Amino acid sequence: MSGRQLRVERQTRASRVGVPAAIIILAIAVSLPLWGSSNLMKTGVTFLTLVALAQMWNLLAGYAGLLSVGQQAFVGIGAYGVWALAEKGGVHPFVAVPIAGLIAAAFALPTAGLTFRLRGGYFAVGTWVVAEVFRLLVINIAWLGGGSGGSITSVGRIARDTREAAVYWLALGVAVGAVVLVYLILRSKGGLALASIRDDQTAAAGLGVNTVRSKLWVYVLSAFGCGTTGAVIYLNLLTVQPEGAFSLNWSALMIFTVVIGGVGTIEGPILGALIFFGLQQVLSDYGSWYLVLIGTIAATSAVFAKQGLWGILNRRWTLELFPVRRRVDLDSDADPPATEPDAQPTDRPKGSASAPSEDG
Amino acid sequence: MTDSDSDKVKRVLALDPLSRRQFLKRAGLAGAAIGFGGAIVGCGDSTTTTTAAEGTATSATTAVTVGEEMGREVKVGWVTMTTGPLASLSEPDDFLLAQAKAAVGDGLVINGKKHPITWVVKDSQSDSNRAAQVAGDLITGDQVDLMMTGMTPIVCNPVADQCEANGMPLVSYGAPWQAWFFGRNGDPAVGFEWAYHFFWGAEDMIAVYTGLWDMFETNKTVGVLWPNDPDGLAMADPVNGFPPVMGEMGYKIVDPGRYTNLTEDYSSIISQFKAENCEIVTGLMIAPDFPTFWSQAQQQGFNPKAVTMGRAILVRPDMEAVGDSGNGLCTEAWWASTHPFTSSLTGNTCMEQAKAWEDEKGTGYNGSLGLTGAAFEVAIDALKRTTDIDDPASIRDAVKATDLQTILGPINFSTGPVPNISKTPLVGGQWQQGGEWPWSLVVVNNDAYPSIPKSGELIPLGG
Repeated sequence: MSGRQLRVERQTRASRVGVPAAIIILAIAVSLPLWGSSNLMKTGVTFLTLVALAQMWNLLAGYAGLLSVGQQAFVGIGAYGVWALAEKGGVHPFVAVPIAGLIAAAFALPTAGLTFRLRGGYFAVGTWVVAEVFRLLVINIAWLGGGSGGSITSVGRIARDTREAAVYWLALGVAVGAVVLVYLILRSKGGLALASIRDDQTAAAGLGVNTVRSKLWVYVLSAFGCGTTGAVIYLNLLTVQPEGAFSLNWSALMIFTVVIGGVGTIEGPILGALIFFGLQQVLSDYGSWYLVLIGTIAATSAVFAKQGLWGILNRRWTLELFPVRRRVDLDSDADPPATEPDAQPTDRPKGSASAPSEDG
Repeated sequence: MTDSDSDKVKRVLALDPLSRRQFLKRAGLAGAAIGFGGAIVGCGDSTTTTTAAEGTATSATTAVTVGEEMGREVKVGWVTMTTGPLASLSEPDDFLLAQAKAAVGDGLVINGKKHPITWVVKDSQSDSNRAAQVAGDLITGDQVDLMMTGMTPIVCNPVADQCEANGMPLVSYGAPWQAWFFGRNGDPAVGFEWAYHFFWGAEDMIAVYTGLWDMFETNKTVGVLWPNDPDGLAMADPVNGFPPVMGEMGYKIVDPGRYTNLTEDYSSIISQFKAENCEIVTGLMIAPDFPTFWSQAQQQGFNPKAVTMGRAILVRPDMEAVGDSGNGLCTEAWWASTHPFTSSLTGNTCMEQAKAWEDEKGTGYNGSLGLTGAAFEVAIDALKRTTDIDDPASIRDAVKATDLQTILGPINFSTGPVPNISKTPLVGGQWQQGGEWPWSLVVVNNDAYPSIPKSGELIPLGG
């Protein structure tokens, strides 16, 4: 052992290349409204909001071990928040977006108080029940339009070019914001706590991690992210109806994206969003068969590729765009290690790289 | 020249405004190029798109040698409900689309030039999010010239909002006008700029239903089943809904409150109706809910003398789900083969149109055969009267100026109770067994629109 040196690092070769590449992609994405068509912007909004939602679910499930199927509650609250602020409160709809996120985060606190008493599958069902309760509440509040919902007409009145560009930038903001948020959380001390909770909650608690506080933070942040994203989504869709805003489909969408992409990585949900988005664009006109195919892919991925597509790629080429894991490298001048250093990626392989978000 | 031919011509010439698939391909290429730092590729791409329309026109002229000067292809977007809980309303869609395509043939003459017409059909899946999404795709992606959408505020409202925000002329049908107009914050003094809608309203339904109740010998006690959704709330409205009219006419309301759609247990509601001795039941259930309610009512021995039910039993497949015990259920009739109108598109009378459907499909027709058919008539008529097909405002003006005798009756958007609306006739119908088909909707009450003849006599509920 004396001939070897141990090195602990986060950076990978990919992440060193990745940073300038990400900056270039981001610059192109930001400038898109200057050269892109309306359709490209609209497509961009759909894709970027999907990335943001997937990141938020991944933060919950992949890092804090909170398997929620009730995130549609916060998408819906965000949607209704932006609608109520813009239509009833006279707040400028773009300004209303982050406020809607804060409203969602505020609702997350009492929700957590209820659902955190439950664990695992019970927690999942509990979050779903709470989301349904929010939907039923909204339906019964006449001020919120009751079962009819309403239209965000104040956005519709903004000149089309301005509106399209602004909504696109907001979507880009939530997507980039979600990625950066997750990255920063994971690189912080709290991230280490989360990783330990994910691996073994009891052991983490035994080592002195305040599991409840860590999970609560993540839950509230995720609600904020989902609420803000929901607000942006409905600035694009323009019509808020309770069945749609609190639809279980939002959670299904997040889960599918994260499961096929790779749970517990930052890159996985981005890849998953690209795959799902591609499938949707190409196949969604096939109606029921499209849904059958999506279900089959999700089931196959869950059974045969538990780490998602990202896990598979990562096992092959250890490339991390967002280096959040510490890797132990053995400098092997003396003894030959079992394999080449790059293919020996510590405990379990997570995270890797390629080119995400090509059109922004 | 068929649609696919013209599409092919354009694709070969690469002049088509990007279709979604092509867009994806190019986005992929652009993405790859971007990797090498080539943002310029994106610029080139979007320029090609903008010049596409003119180029297509020339290519079409050379491809088709007809006497008239050929114009570019005109696209009509259509957001309908092919799947989902409300899909039975869309049963005649394919039939009507084929009929419209046949009637248009190789093109419509619009301001002196002959334009091939294509329909781009999108499934809303009976879901408001999806409806908004596909309407947006049609506007920015497929770049349609005119939009059609139909059936229920769940679909019509989001599509109308998208059209209104993006300057797209819209022909909408199949949702009570109050839900469509006021549900979208409409101001009667101003109206909307781009979206136009035809259908009847809550007041017509009230007139038809109360007319039907008066035909039965009852104790005038009415149990109501109005769900908590846009249509249900409009019916239950204490000012513009059923309650004030029912009060005036001496009907007593037993209202268990707004229930939620897709409720599976109606036993407490049924008990209340029984306890209050309701002899009439009315409501506005959705199609999957009524059979559930009805079978539970039978199990609990609740047998009202008259039932007028909106939405849930509008079309024949719904009655097949209800079964034999539904003989004599009443509903509003939007359209029947005995209506005295003629299609401006095919020249068919209502009877001929119903016959055409029955001959081809081997089943009885739906009321939506007339309703959706009228939407095609309005859209095509508006395109014919358009003066500048490349100006959406010109198409919008043509839609706005519609004054057409359709298979559904007269449609004129300047005659409605509020701007952008044209009301269509509504009469009282009853589902009866034993005709040519297992179920037929017989017009038993025409008080609200006497020029539409009755087609049969009322039978007691249960046959």
